[in-house]
Order: sequence, then structure tokens, then C-alpha cells
Amino acid sequence: MLKDLAYARSGDKGDIVNIGVMAFSPENYQLLKKKLTPEKIKEHFGSDVKGDVVIYKMPNLNSLEIVMNGALGGGATRTLALDQTGKAKGQSLLYMEIDAD
Amino acid sequence: MKTVKIGSGSASWGDMMEPGIDLIEQGDIQYLGLDHLAELTLSILQRWKAKDPKKGYIPDVIPFMKGLLPPARKHGTKILCNSGGANPEAAGEVVAQIAKEFGMEGLKIGIVLGDDLLPRLKEFKDQGVKFENMETGEEDIDRVADRIVAANAYIGAESIIEALEAGADVVITGRASDNALYVGPLMHEFGWKFEEPYWDKIGAAVTIGHIIECGACSSGSMSSQWRKVDDPGNVRNPMAEVDENAAAIISKIDGPGGLVNSGTVKEHLVYEVHDPYNYLMPDGIADFASAKLEDIAPNKVRVTEIKGKPRPEKLKVCMGYREGFIGEGQVWFPGPDAFEKAQWAEKWARRRLEIMNAQYDELRIDYMGVNILHGNTVPFPPPYAKDMYECGLRFVVRTKTYEEADRLKRIPTWLWTHGPVGSACGQPLPVRPVIGLWPTLIPRELVPTRMVIKEVK
Repeated sequence: MLKDLAYARSGDKGDIVNIGVMAFSPENYQLLKKKLTPEKIKEHFGSDVKGDVVIYKMPNLNSLEIVMNGALGGGATRTLALDQTGKAKGQSLLYMEIDAD
Repeated sequence: MKTVKIGSGSASWGDMMEPGIDLIEQGDIQYLGLDHLAELTLSILQRWKAKDPKKGYIPDVIPFMKGLLPPARKHGTKILCNSGGANPEAAGEVVAQIAKEFGMEGLKIGIVLGDDLLPRLKEFKDQGVKFENMETGEEDIDRVADRIVAANAYIGAESIIEALEAGADVVITGRASDNALYVGPLMHEFGWKFEEPYWDKIGAAVTIGHIIECGACSSGSMSSQWRKVDDPGNVRNPMAEVDENAAAIISKIDGPGGLVNSGTVKEHLVYEVHDPYNYLMPDGIADFASAKLEDIAPNKVRVTEIKGKPRPEKLKVCMGYREGFIGEGQVWFPGPDAFEKAQWAEKWARRRLEIMNAQYDELRIDYMGVNILHGNTVPFPPPYAKDMYECGLRFVVRTKTYEEADRLKRIPTWLWTHGPVGSACGQPLPVRPVIGLWPTLIPRELVPTRMVIKEVK
């Protein structure tokens, strides 16, 4: 699972949730760069993420920045979710299965 | 080499005050920044200002200034805050009054104005300025124009620098970017200008500001390393010692509480960022992917090599508009069969909505302890359903009118006495207004800012 390979922290801007995924090692970073794709992220969150997912690579921090559009029910003040600012979404991603092939 | 030490005393409205006092008294900082605004805080503050022209600032500024001004005066620390919200002038009056009561004659308060675009929307319309929604692409605000309650540009550090140059001890802004509260003092101290060859240094200042502007969130709070933080509850805020080459050492005060290492700094460098190669702030564009982090001592991280680009031609504007109401309630069920009782209650609630001919735009029912945070990513029903000792149901609706939200939010409270045996619903929540967010851009030249100095007599 992702939680065995990286930390995550997420937050919001408008209706966008971003998740910073920080790999525990350069090796994990190389693996996650391949395994965490926008399609996989969309699949993990299902209908909780309605828009496009964009992923930026940050080799200096062994980290990936995952930007998920349409992920907050219209934004912090509009969403009916208790997690109004998407801070739990990063933790949710930690449950994602990653095959180490 | 000259260095400047800046610290963070608040990350949001309602944050703790003690960590800022500790930084002033034990951190040897010259500047303390206080961020009190979130994306739509101005929508609340504009409503208050409309009711009372002497209100519309963050009320926390009163206890904060009462707590921070005496140590700040003693140690020569300058305080910068965006607590002015929708009414920086009124906040300035209140802070001046507090300073006067402390006998701080001669204290100078710099008040920064110009971010509030609400009174200017008609002028912009007449000039043909359009406000395209950055998220949805909708071309202009016509559809929501009569419901807009706040419109503020995220202004940069220009007038903050002017206030510091004029000798301000306290700077109060409205919707200055949180970041500008930290970029301002660095540019003022080092004489950096908004031109070549300073863009890398400003990029570094933007990055350093980002690292510390959310208070303890880079010094052990909200951290995946939470187990390593000693003395939990004794929260310590971060500070940055910056040199004239824009290299910084991020740290906290010595002793127990908090945690600063390259991991906690990294956690903040990836936090609430979209394109990390182009972190857009009104004062400059920072490349977070260029930053080099080094753990140089316990609780000390050196941050260097940051690149920057010229500041954007346009400023971000957040508009808030009225978009109905939310009614919310919860009800909890005890075992035996807690989960099954909650499922029965969900059916009850949905049937009740039909009987009541409920009018709502959106409905959400969460199972507390099951999927309230993880949403659709967890299996439902959960594999442990039969073993749950207790389970809660959270019921939320968004409606067009206050009355309908007030009517429907009673459903979970009815389940207290009409649901399966043994339930409890706690205290009902009040109906709250929904503010929709309209993020947009405006050419920088249309938002001139200015500052005025108010001296305590």
C-alpha cells in the first residue's frame, strides 16, 4: 500500500484538492512516479473526484504533487462533506494498493 | 552577513496566541506575521461591516494585540497581520485604542488599503472588465452578480513595504496574501525591488513565506511524523532566519514542543500548492522544485537555491456569492446492531424526505465511523459492520431557502425518538448560509494599493 512507501498531506483551493505524496526514499519515488498516474488516482477516488487530475514531479523532494479538480463538492464553503478542506483525502490515498513489480 | 528573523504567529482565524508570544519572547525575531483569513472569510466580514460600519475585521485582533503588543514593544518586534479583513481602518482604530491603553504613545500603525473590489464592481462592468471563473471557465459574473457579497484581490507586499519604510510598528491589511506578510519585511530589510536581478530572491522570500505562513503546520502540527513530536499540546511555531542571499534557516524556539526537520518543511512545501514549478503569488513566482533542504542541526533546516520569476501581470481575486443554505444534523446508534440500526434510520430519513415533499439541491448521508472522511474510497457496508459497538448517521442538505434547510435539518433529531431504540442526537446545529466561490483574475494596474500611518497619541 502507498502508506508503506510515502507520507501524504492534502489541502484545498476552491474546488481543487491537492495531495503532496512524499516518498520515503529515492527508490520509492522512482516507483511512485511510474505507478501513480492520473487514471489510477481517478479510479481510487471514483465519483468523489469529478474533474481532471494533474501530477507534477518534484525530484528535489522525492515528492509528487497531485492536483485533483472538482474534488470538493464546489469548495470548502459549499461542500456537504465534513472534510470541508480535503485534508483527509491524502490519507485516503495512502490505502491505495501499489504493486512493486 | 546581514540576517533577518521572521516568525509566524497565526495560521487562521481562531488559531492559538501563545506560540506567537513565545516566538517574540524567546525567538529573537524582528517580525511576526499573523494570517487570519481563508478564501471566503471576507464574505462573513463584509456581512458584519454592512450591519455595523465599525466592524468587519477579525475580532481575534483584539485579544491577539492585547497579548502580543506588550512583548513586541519590549523586544522591538514588528507585527504584520491581515486581520483588517473587510475593514482595515476600523481594525487600525481598535489596535490604536489598545496601544493607547497600554501607554504606547508614538506606536505607528500602518494600514494597507485597496484590496476591496466590492464597491468597484460596477465601475469594472462599465469599463468592460470581465471576470472569468478560473475553475469553470464561465466568461463573466453576470449569473451571480446580484448575489456577490465579497470581492477581494490578493494584494502583494508593495504597500506593506511602504508602511515599514514609514516606520510602522504594526501593519494591518485586508486581503493581502498571507505570503506578503513575510515577503514584505524581507524586501524592506534587504532593499530588494520588483525588478531584475531580484526575482530569485523574491522567489525565495515567497517560498520561505509559504513554509512558515501556516504557523505550526511546518513545525510539527498536521504532520505525518506526529508520533515524533514531543510534548504534544505545547505547540511551537516556525521562524526563519534569512540572509541577504535569500538562504534561510527554518527553526523553532529551543526546548520541548514542536518538530522541525526536512520532513516537516517538505510537508509544507507540497501543501496547498498546484504547479510547484510556478507557485504564483502577487509578489513573485517561486519554483519550489528548485529548493534544496538540509538538516543542519536538530530542529534546524537550511533552505537554499530557490529560483524565482517576475511577478504575474494579473492578481487573483476571490469573489463570494450567496448560494443557498445548508441544514445539517446527526444521530448516533448504540449496539447491539449499531450499523443495522443506522441503515434502518437512513431509510427512515429518505422516506421522510418524500413525505415532506422536500425541496433540496443536494443531499448527503454519511455513516460516522465508516465513511464520513474517506467517502467512496472505503468498502460499504464495511466488513466489520456486525462488530460495531456504535455507529452515527450524518445528514446534510443544501437548499435554496433558509426555511427549507431549517425544516429538513430536523429529520436526524426526529430519529432521536422515532428511530431504533437507544439513539442520541446531541445539540442541533444552526442552519448556515452557503457562499459560492468565484475565483478570477484582474490586471494588476486596476488594483492600486495605498497605506496610511496612524500614530498613537
